[in-house]
Amino acid sequence: MAAMTAFEPVLTRNVRNPEALTLDGYRKSGGYEALAKALKMEPGEVIEEVKKSGLRGRGGAGFPAGLKWSFIPQKDPNQPRYLVCNADESEPGTFKDRLLMEYDPHQLIEGCAICCWAVRAATCYIYIRGEYTKAAAILEQALKDAYEGGILGDSVMQSGFKLNMYVHRGAGAYICGEETGMLESLEGKRGQPRVKPPFPAVVGAFGSPTVINNVETLCNVPHIINRGADWFKGIGTDERNTGPKLYAISGHVERPGTYEHPIGITFREMLDAAGGMWRGGDLSTLKAFIPGGASAPILPASMIDIKMDFDTVAKAGSMLGSAAVIVMDNTVCMVRSVARLAKFFNHESCGQCTPCREGTNWMEMILKRIEHGEGREGDAMLLKSVAGNVGGNSLCALGDAAVGPVKSLVERFSDEIDAHISGRGCPFPQVRYFNDGV
Amino acid sequence: MPKLTINDRTVEVEAGTNLIEAGIKVGVQIPHYCYHPRLSVVGQCRMCLVEISQGGKKMPKLQAACSTPAGESMEVRTDTPEVREAQKGMKEFFLINHPLDCPICDQAGECGLQDYSFKHGVAFSRFQYEDKRTYPGRERIPLGPTVLLNMNRCIQCTRCVRFTHEVAKTGELGFFNRGARTEIGTFPGKELNNPLSTCVVDICPVGALTSTRFRFAERVFYLDKKPSICTGCDVGCNITVEHRRGDVKRYKPRFNPDVNDYWMCDYGRSTYERYKTLPRLRTCKVRKDGAESLTGWKEALDTVQTRLAAVDGKGGGKVHFLGSGFLTNEEAWLAAKLAGLVNAGTSVQVDVGAGWTIPNLKGGLTGRELAPNRRGAEMMGLKGAAGATSSDTPDVLVVLDSDFGKDAWDPAAVERLRKAAFLVVVGWADSPLAKAADVALPVATHTEKDGTFVNLEWRAQRFNAAFPAPPQVRTTVELLADLLSRFDAQWSGLTPGAVFDRIAAEVPELAGLQWSTLPASGISLKVETPMPPQGPLTAQTPQETAL
Repeated sequence: MAAMTAFEPVLTRNVRNPEALTLDGYRKSGGYEALAKALKMEPGEVIEEVKKSGLRGRGGAGFPAGLKWSFIPQKDPNQPRYLVCNADESEPGTFKDRLLMEYDPHQLIEGCAICCWAVRAATCYIYIRGEYTKAAAILEQALKDAYEGGILGDSVMQSGFKLNMYVHRGAGAYICGEETGMLESLEGKRGQPRVKPPFPAVVGAFGSPTVINNVETLCNVPHIINRGADWFKGIGTDERNTGPKLYAISGHVERPGTYEHPIGITFREMLDAAGGMWRGGDLSTLKAFIPGGASAPILPASMIDIKMDFDTVAKAGSMLGSAAVIVMDNTVCMVRSVARLAKFFNHESCGQCTPCREGTNWMEMILKRIEHGEGREGDAMLLKSVAGNVGGNSLCALGDAAVGPVKSLVERFSDEIDAHISGRGCPFPQVRYFNDGV
Repeated sequence: MPKLTINDRTVEVEAGTNLIEAGIKVGVQIPHYCYHPRLSVVGQCRMCLVEISQGGKKMPKLQAACSTPAGESMEVRTDTPEVREAQKGMKEFFLINHPLDCPICDQAGECGLQDYSFKHGVAFSRFQYEDKRTYPGRERIPLGPTVLLNMNRCIQCTRCVRFTHEVAKTGELGFFNRGARTEIGTFPGKELNNPLSTCVVDICPVGALTSTRFRFAERVFYLDKKPSICTGCDVGCNITVEHRRGDVKRYKPRFNPDVNDYWMCDYGRSTYERYKTLPRLRTCKVRKDGAESLTGWKEALDTVQTRLAAVDGKGGGKVHFLGSGFLTNEEAWLAAKLAGLVNAGTSVQVDVGAGWTIPNLKGGLTGRELAPNRRGAEMMGLKGAAGATSSDTPDVLVVLDSDFGKDAWDPAAVERLRKAAFLVVVGWADSPLAKAADVALPVATHTEKDGTFVNLEWRAQRFNAAFPAPPQVRTTVELLADLLSRFDAQWSGLTPGAVFDRIAAEVPELAGLQWSTLPASGISLKVETPMPPQGPLTAQTPQETAL
């Protein structure tokens, strides 16, 4: 626990400081110093610094942010370039970006501005989830303040660099969190992913090179510029997993919420920080946990000492994703919970590509059948096979996401499937918090 | 020019070519539904997944061949167990919610789902205990006057949606709802009603979109398909005549990148119907003492020969040959020869319509004349001002191919033409004009004869009979050769091919061409004025002026 107590919050430092919502308050806590510093650097130097820091995308895929920025072609000075900040946080279990936007909007604006300077983008869109009305209002107000304070507009902090920033609200589709689906939606089209290549770095929003980064990724940038890449690298497990990380923990824990830890904290430590299992239960009541949002394969309780960083979780057969940790105790029926997740992905599939459109629907139907006692011998194999046909074959990552929980159910909790099939129904007592539609 | 191998076959293609096209070059068919060469690539059917390795390194996932441009030293495989497994998986996904109503589906026999099921699918279903997704009430939705949608059969490839947005540029269709409930439909207040609308039926790989015209007309596997040329206008779209025992069921476009590409207009598709709905002239008719009587060919031709010989233009009276744009080059040339023998005046008459554009890679061709071969007929020697017949009334008027347009059906026009002392009508339809004729001679329709047409870009295109003409009906070439041989024996027993070869020896524009070696996609003629002035435009649409 020593490492944890020594850790001083970085991204969430202003959460208990309501003054940070105003421009002056944010400046008082050292705000916009990083932007001023970055504007004195060459854009290439900024990218180099971010590259050196090892900052990886916090949205789910963990792609190195600096590398992504360096893909933006810089040859033609007249070509428009865009930054789109992905604030369409809709993964079940994820609520970390919301905190950043509602409590420290200027931190995000500063991060966006630095990124725009680094890739020479004159326009930034913050694509925010439609349901985040409060965060959108706060961001709008912060943007207004920033324009008035000379942070944004025709000359960013008197540097001559022109930057316009807009908040664009989504209309409630999970798929618009996929980067190309977001671009389509931003352009006013039906929100569905584009075929890649070309990648957004070459042909993105409105046909121009576009950087797309998650809120949390961009919020890290001012701190990297301020304190240097070496400081950032000092936090975390190794060279490839650096920096502070927000973990949104929910489920059967005593104090669910968003916690900031250095990346690579073990799940056991994280659980402790959140007060342990709920209702005073000890660790033996832990059955399973999802390490990275609804799309990550479920890990069993035996993996409690796993280090929660990108590479370790990937090695364990899951993914850190958006680091939304869902804790399940031993009252949870895995079939039912996976059926609920499958229902979510079926509902959110855009319907464009065949495996995702048909496969997510079929998986939901099979899982519901099993849950309601109509399972048949061989259903586990069928599920695995259908999931195999969806995973890796779909147009975008939603198909892969949808099979994550299903595959882990078949691989790690097949005894529960068998119990459902042989017992002709769910062996767990029905606990209904709300109508989950399964 | 990247060089790559597909299933160990080496191919060199232009940069940017996708793997499906590269595969076609070396005879490897990569299955696909959503990809179409003239539509944007969306990569959403996932049927074309292939395995790619480059520099000995295999890509971690299977890649969609349609959206992957060919790269230098790529090794593409379509036959590995992984690819086969993926294809099987996709096939299964397509079929689990498909109604499998092939016995009552118009597409059965030319259906992408059927074809790939045999090739890439499995013979049993694992989808046995769940309910199929259906779209109640959307089994037969008219999208417009020409196309019906059965949403249950749709595989959501969006070819039709992209067609209306990218080729027809009318954008009536859209993709609605999400996930497994995704459906195709028209935008509110719009209907699929554009000149090219039936093309969406052609490009639909399944039976979701069916043509109101062809719906339930025939099982496609009973159709005989013969390449031909559309006679709707002077674009000369390449088509396939699809018939069963001489009963034409539909026209479909035949790919020709220089003319109609993959497309064809709705009006052109409808033109076969006139052969079925209009009365057919089946026997020679000769008017004797004011009354019509049926005769054999010999008597009818004797009558014509006698009249033509009597009025040989040397004081015995005037003769006029009125041709139409429906004449083939061979017919027009023989008619010109005959006219020359009897010193007759000649002219060609065509109807003119508003016209619309058939898109192709060069921007498209706009047909304005409602006949395929006005240019060819005039090139063959049937020159002269159109409408010359109205001013001077000849003693003998020979009207060739009476389906040439509204004149044959318009009482006023018939009365005008009837002013000739002796009226010979050669045609396939028993029109008012044929009824008014002194001699009416039944000839083959363009689906029953061979010939060549010259389109508005001066492209000579050959077509062949799809089926023989009915008994007692001759082709116009046979008829004219018979008549000519009565004046000069050298003309007897000519076939269209032989006539074409004679034309090639005589008409400079066709010099060097041979009937037997004319390419299927036609050949551009060298003409001094490549694009002749278009005829005067009227406000009428082709549909209004057409029969």
